[in-house]
Amino acid sequence: MLEATNELGNVALQAGGTLTDANAAAALAVGLAALGAGYAERGIGSAAVGAMAEDDDLFVNGLILTVLPETIVILALVVVFIV
Amino acid sequence: MSAVGSSNPEYVVARVRARRGSLYGDEEYRKLTRMGPAEIARFMEESSYGAEINALGSRHGGVDLIEYALNRNLAEQFDDILDWSEGELYDLIARYLRKFDAWNVKTVIRGAYTDADQSSIEVDLIRAGEFDDRRIRRLLEADSIDAVVEVLEDTIYGDPLREAYAEYEETDTLVPLENAVDRAFYERLLSGLGNDEPTQQYEAFLKAEVDFRNATNALRLARSGADIDPAAYFIEGGELFTRGSLARLARNLDELVEYIADSQYGDELGPALRELEEADSLIAFEHATDAALLAYGDRLGTIHPVSITPIISYILAKEREVENIRAIARGKEAGLSADEIESELVIT
Repeated sequence: MLEATNELGNVALQAGGTLTDANAAAALAVGLAALGAGYAERGIGSAAVGAMAEDDDLFVNGLILTVLPETIVILALVVVFIV
Repeated sequence: MSAVGSSNPEYVVARVRARRGSLYGDEEYRKLTRMGPAEIARFMEESSYGAEINALGSRHGGVDLIEYALNRNLAEQFDDILDWSEGELYDLIARYLRKFDAWNVKTVIRGAYTDADQSSIEVDLIRAGEFDDRRIRRLLEADSIDAVVEVLEDTIYGDPLREAYAEYEETDTLVPLENAVDRAFYERLLSGLGNDEPTQQYEAFLKAEVDFRNATNALRLARSGADIDPAAYFIEGGELFTRGSLARLARNLDELVEYIADSQYGDELGPALRELEEADSLIAFEHATDAALLAYGDRLGTIHPVSITPIISYILAKEREVENIRAIARGKEAGLSADEIESELVIT
């Protein structure tokens, strides 16, 4: 039984079914984090532009809030250094 | 902008929230009730109505100036909102704002009926709906009701008006035409709404509005005792009445009041209904329905912050503000005291 499972695992690996390269996994992690940050910034950015159109004083606040999700990408970047 | 593409509630909500902050509060209303028409105009000039007061100041004066400035500002603000929104959001907002189109169509028809001159009709229009300037100009240039119906041929009002026009020719009353316009508006209002949570709340609000409209109409008919078929005034889409139940209840005032008091709106409208029974005053009931809608609107905007609901909440609050200022100005003109005017205002 155990042997059969092992065999199955080898077959799966040879077919390239799982992600075994640590660097590739880290790259994927950063990429997905950046995608999430981008999606978050889309909403915040359009809201910030809307608020700025009404009141110019909100430029600084809008800018800060727009780039806040960027921290997710920076945290994800840590993964690259520890693998 | 248009009904294509995806919704952009974030942008519109941010702008609308900023504008909501500049609406008048209790403090401003208290000041306004103690001013004369000229002072009110000056007060408005210093707030968000400045551009409109300046543009119209040379042509009009007194309460007329306030009234036209209010209408124009309302139209401008709502036009802006339609300009900003895209996709599904546009559709949802336009549904509600089409009521200004309906208002404009009715005004033009009445003007053509009474042979009013073009400029006096024009100042009564509120250009907040979907009709563009070209269509409004063509409507104004139409000198008969037949011509008005023709201009509207390709809109949602085309077919219903065409049908009602035959009836109008027979009876020479405007009621069938006005009913046709209202019905076309309300049919579009509630058809094919989406299924997500904020849209459902919006739908509940629209249904409440239809219910209140039906209830007010029924109360008016029941009180007047006139021999009019209540079913002819029934607006589809509400939850409170069906065509049959409205026709039955409108014949008996006591039964009608009891029916409304037992409905889901009983809590909000209860005090006003008691007043209606005691003092026989419909105005209190109408104010209570307005206040209930406004309170619901205020609540609407807080549960789903990035959706259609805060926008509708602002539209309601803005409409209410315009009506309040108009009531103050008209009350001042009629020589009412500050207390009497305050009782006419709907403030939450």
